Amino acid sequence: MNPLRLVLRGLAFHARSHLGVVAGSAVATAVLVGAMVVGDSLKAELRRRALLRLGPVVAAHDGRDRFLATSGTNIGAPRPGWAAVVRLPGMVARQDGSARANRVQVLGIDDAFLALGGPARPGLPTDDGVWLNVALAARLGAKEGDALVVRLHKPGALSMDASVSPRDDASVALRARVERILADADGGAFDLSVGHGETLNAFVRRDLLQRVSGLGDRANVLLHAAASGAGGTVTDDAQAAAEAAARRVQSEATLDDMELAVRVVRPPVNQTGGEPAPVAVELATRRIFLEEPVARAALATRPAGIEPQPVATYLVNTLRSGDRMTPYSMVAATRAPGVPADLREDEVVVNDWLANDLGVAPGATLAMTYYEADSAARLVERTNVFRVRAVVPLRGPWADRTLMPEFPGLSKAESTHDWDAGFDLVHKIRDQDEAYWKQWRGTPKAWVHPATGVRLWSNRFGSWTAVRWNVPEGQDADALAATVARSIREGLQPAQVGLAMRPVRSEALNGAATGTAQMFVGLFIGFSLFLIVSALLLTSLLFRFGIEQRAGEVGILLALGWKPAKVRRLFLGEGALLAWVAMVPGVALGLGYARGILWGLNHAWSDAIAGLGVRFEPGVGAAAGGAGAGALVGLMALAWTLRGLARRPARELLNEGAGGAAAQPMPGSTRALRVPWTALLFTSGVALIALGWRADEAARPGLFFGAGALVMAGSLAALRGAWAKPRRRVEGLSLGGLAWRSPGRRPGRSLATVTLLASATFLIVALAAFRLEARREAGRRSGGTGGFTHWVETALPVAQDVRTEKGRDAVGLAAVGVEGVEMVPVRVRDGDDASCLNLSKAARPRLLGVDPAALATRGSFTFAAWAKGVDPKAGWRCLEALGSDDAIPVVGDMASIQYALQRRVGDVLELEDGQGKPMRVRLVGAVRNSTLQGSLVMSEEAFRRRFPGESGWRMFWLEAPLARHDAVGKAWSQALRDQGGEVTATVARLDRFNAVQNTYLGTFQVLGGLGLLLGSAGLGIVVLRNVHERRGELAILRAMGFATRRVRRLVLWEHVALVLNGLGLGMASAWIAVAPVTLGPGGSGLPWGTLGPVLGLVLVNGLAWTWLATRWSCRGGLLQALRGE
Amino acid sequence: MDAPHDRPHVPGPPFVPGDAAPLLELRRVTKSYQPEGDAPPLAVLRDASLLVRKGEAVAIIGPSGSGKSTLLNVVGTLDRPDAGEVWLDGQNLAGLDDDALAAVRRDRVGFVFQSHHLLPHCTVLENVLVPVLAGHPAAPAAAIERARALLERVGLSGRIDHLPGRLSGGERQRVALVRALVPSPALLLADEPTGALDAASAREVGRLLREVNQRDGVTLLVVTHSRELAASLGRILEMRDGQLVPA
Repeated sequence: MNPLRLVLRGLAFHARSHLGVVAGSAVATAVLVGAMVVGDSLKAELRRRALLRLGPVVAAHDGRDRFLATSGTNIGAPRPGWAAVVRLPGMVARQDGSARANRVQVLGIDDAFLALGGPARPGLPTDDGVWLNVALAARLGAKEGDALVVRLHKPGALSMDASVSPRDDASVALRARVERILADADGGAFDLSVGHGETLNAFVRRDLLQRVSGLGDRANVLLHAAASGAGGTVTDDAQAAAEAAARRVQSEATLDDMELAVRVVRPPVNQTGGEPAPVAVELATRRIFLEEPVARAALATRPAGIEPQPVATYLVNTLRSGDRMTPYSMVAATRAPGVPADLREDEVVVNDWLANDLGVAPGATLAMTYYEADSAARLVERTNVFRVRAVVPLRGPWADRTLMPEFPGLSKAESTHDWDAGFDLVHKIRDQDEAYWKQWRGTPKAWVHPATGVRLWSNRFGSWTAVRWNVPEGQDADALAATVARSIREGLQPAQVGLAMRPVRSEALNGAATGTAQMFVGLFIGFSLFLIVSALLLTSLLFRFGIEQRAGEVGILLALGWKPAKVRRLFLGEGALLAWVAMVPGVALGLGYARGILWGLNHAWSDAIAGLGVRFEPGVGAAAGGAGAGALVGLMALAWTLRGLARRPARELLNEGAGGAAAQPMPGSTRALRVPWTALLFTSGVALIALGWRADEAARPGLFFGAGALVMAGSLAALRGAWAKPRRRVEGLSLGGLAWRSPGRRPGRSLATVTLLASATFLIVALAAFRLEARREAGRRSGGTGGFTHWVETALPVAQDVRTEKGRDAVGLAAVGVEGVEMVPVRVRDGDDASCLNLSKAARPRLLGVDPAALATRGSFTFAAWAKGVDPKAGWRCLEALGSDDAIPVVGDMASIQYALQRRVGDVLELEDGQGKPMRVRLVGAVRNSTLQGSLVMSEEAFRRRFPGESGWRMFWLEAPLARHDAVGKAWSQALRDQGGEVTATVARLDRFNAVQNTYLGTFQVLGGLGLLLGSAGLGIVVLRNVHERRGELAILRAMGFATRRVRRLVLWEHVALVLNGLGLGMASAWIAVAPVTLGPGGSGLPWGTLGPVLGLVLVNGLAWTWLATRWSCRGGLLQALRGE
Repeated sequence: MDAPHDRPHVPGPPFVPGDAAPLLELRRVTKSYQPEGDAPPLAVLRDASLLVRKGEAVAIIGPSGSGKSTLLNVVGTLDRPDAGEVWLDGQNLAGLDDDALAAVRRDRVGFVFQSHHLLPHCTVLENVLVPVLAGHPAAPAAAIERARALLERVGLSGRIDHLPGRLSGGERQRVALVRALVPSPALLLADEPTGALDAASAREVGRLLREVNQRDGVTLLVVTHSRELAASLGRILEMRDGQLVPA
């Protein structure tokens, strides 16, 4: 005989009474196992989706508007494991116009793409063919053989925001037949962004796309696949492959890959008036303006001590002197040979053609007008006045037409009539102008100081159009060019101009592992906590009942000389075995529970996970972890239950047994402690409320929730105190009074019941208050729609400023679309969806550029939080201030910041700007529950500066009069059809986001409901147990003449009081917790319409259990009860 | 605290009003129980008859299982006879429904059991007032006054605010006795009232029962194993073969 044997005997003998304990513990284990398995399944699904999007790709360069070369020794040249792809934004429509899909990725692929990570697969789309991925085919209802029109954005050398950027060929259309529907597993789901949202892909031949887009052999996406990466796991090999790919690009990329070229400029004598022009080595770019890192590297290059000469040649609108005017001329800012070394910044050198045309001589005044370089949308014209320093002949060094960069739309034009200058030619082009163009092309007519060029034409794309090194007489120009090229390349890292490989696979997998899915698991366990606690309380109650029935056994052990601690250990041993036994049904139940939750998430609650279909994938770790945690908490609950066991004298235990145990009055010391505890809890709750009113909106809900919880705890403590408090006045003693005080006979048991009911009510009321209704937000500028009625997004950028009549005319926007309509155009830098619809963690969120003044004037949206040091009075103007650390201020939606980005207001994010340079952005503020979810907003000015390559606007927020809501939407939809415009009602957009939170709340309310079921079961058990223990008492009442129904009523009221206490305390505490939501700005109180019936059900449920238990317990057995049987 | 032995001793012999009117009459009462299994019904009371006059104190003795408690339960309307009649104060209880029987117990019968069954969360004073609540929504002032007086009589005036958990067994039984007396019953039924008490407490409870009978005129019907208690009452009957016979 040993203690273990005793434990086993005890377990076997009391097996029936232990069943409930095992069941309760199993439920707690099941909930934990279920939550973990759901989390595992979610993460596995996200991981699978991430890998499906990337296929075998481990590293990628996404150049967007930057195009690397794919031939010769360039980085994009064919090579095993590498593929260069052209990716352009576009839209696809059925040729009959019956269906259209906007925001499509048009991908130009070659064999290398299909061969990535595996054996080469035969076939590519033909020149007339297109492959669609499953999602796009479904969107269009397309099948093989169907005729489609693919319209795509034709990338230009210059941003469409540049004044001299051509307007006419911004997009190009392809007619193609569907040749294949590409399955996701075959690369159809290809997408480099982190997320799991639907991607619409159209695949065409890369050479076709390059041809129609005028890209030559260039591509903007470079992919690298790890040979061993197809298995779907990030092996060390895959990780190492990504790192090696990144290194290779940095070391092997050529200047050509960076869209740079070093050439020898040797104008033929027949083009320079018969007089030779100096030979020079020139660095130029197909992007027209040299980016700042490039210019810096070039200007630091001094081969053989030759000084670099920066050049900026620009098209000016007019050159005037007096009443004479020469239209549309090139003016160069450079220290060209022959330009006086001491040329002042307000002086100009003109060629004799211009001097004759304007009738000017040295000393004359000359006015120059030009468009600001990046003002394409509005064409801001400036005028500067110069003094003519010298007149030079139009030959030799003054006749260098190569100074004009390859302005698209101009440089290839044979005649001025063929110009596409990017703006209307409002000044008459005379015959002599046409003749000049034909003979001299873009040869500058005037020269200014380089500093003047910077001052006048420097822009966000760059300051210089070229850098030149004059080749000294007798030196080999080609050799010098090679030296220059080598030197520049050495001084320039490809990453400085945005050419870098990212480890996309590890980013995607990291996003899948740490994104909202991870938070969902945390939230799920958090909200399941109530269910777990309910199960544990029930377990504890049942275990306690079992132990109480064995009070005599405890008394005997004590009488036999066992120490109380040893007795407790003995019973704890039984408890430990029970908890261990409960693991088996717990895991089984948990797996079933997880299946049920996943079914819910895939059906009724699919909004919570943004429609992500999740498979049931139980991991051994999750099941074991959940089971272990369940057993542990179960054991802790049992240990807690046993804490007071064996403290009573053996004689008392032996005499009374379990059933007759009298209620023990609360010890004086405990009573003395309880009052300060209650006071402390209440005071702390009130203090949190006071703090909450003064705190910012981000902290407020937490403080109020804490206050609500403290008040509930304080109320429960006070309630227990009230039960224990002896009555001083016997007058007015009534049956109701007896009923009220009856829970005091078993205060722990009663308190557990009230706590369960109060917590469930708290949860249900609090969650109901957080339900979001987009309709309530409509029309209020401070609301989540910002007062906007329409959210317009285009696939292709709109370069024209639709705020101007000219811009509206250009896009064909009808008057009905603008009358009485307020609009805010928005610039867009695509990135990861940082909304709650993306369960992966957004690494590079989408960035929006807006005019802060426009939003500030409107008072759109409500700020929920501000970073430290930001003046809330500034509102949207906070985007204009730059912090001391040069981080760009951005504002986001609170949900995006907290969940999708997992950041806090005030944090600094390290992103990349348009040139691939590190860019720090500071989250200076957060708006509450808005349509801005998914993006971060920065000032338009900062956006243009950091993303010069992003042309025009791709988003418009409109506020239309209610009466013309539909007409306005229709007008915009029609006008922006070619740009792939999609008009959404802001309320609908907000509803989509709200659906996520509301579904979460719904899910958690169901968990609360399950907890409530357990709570109710606990209540029923408590009633049964209470009545059973008091059968003698109740029989005495009947013997005294109490009618049976009165006795029943007494018992019923006693327990109804518990139900009402639980409901009341839960509601009051929840009301405090949600006060900021219901009473704050825009609050509309609790949704009693839906809440009332739910609480009614809680009440009815509690009463039903009480009634049933009372009926069952009070039936018959009066005499046996009196005899104490 | 008022110790039981400080109370004035009530001298014997017991008061037996031989010419008093009948209060309780059992006429050929029969009661059987069906044991578990296929065994034939077990007749506990067989044509048992009894006449108890007002103010009488009757002890019923007999071996365990002889039917003493059954008799008391039938008298106290906690159980119904299979046959025969029970008359209380001139009223035949046979035809009364449960509510009417409850009213009989409330107004005319008091009970004291071996197990006191006090409400553990109520004070002594509250406990003794509980029977009043069977007929009133709240305890009237007169009942409270009577309860205090009775508690003082049984030596518990210093314990009225105490919870039962702090009382001794004898004190609890005295509280149970006062609880039975507060509604001023005509008939007090006591089932082994001293069975769970030590000798001193048992004596004190016995003394109080006699005092109630003699001073207040409450008719007593006491089932007991205690020869001493039985001997202190006016009449002793023995339950034998389901019938009551003089001991």
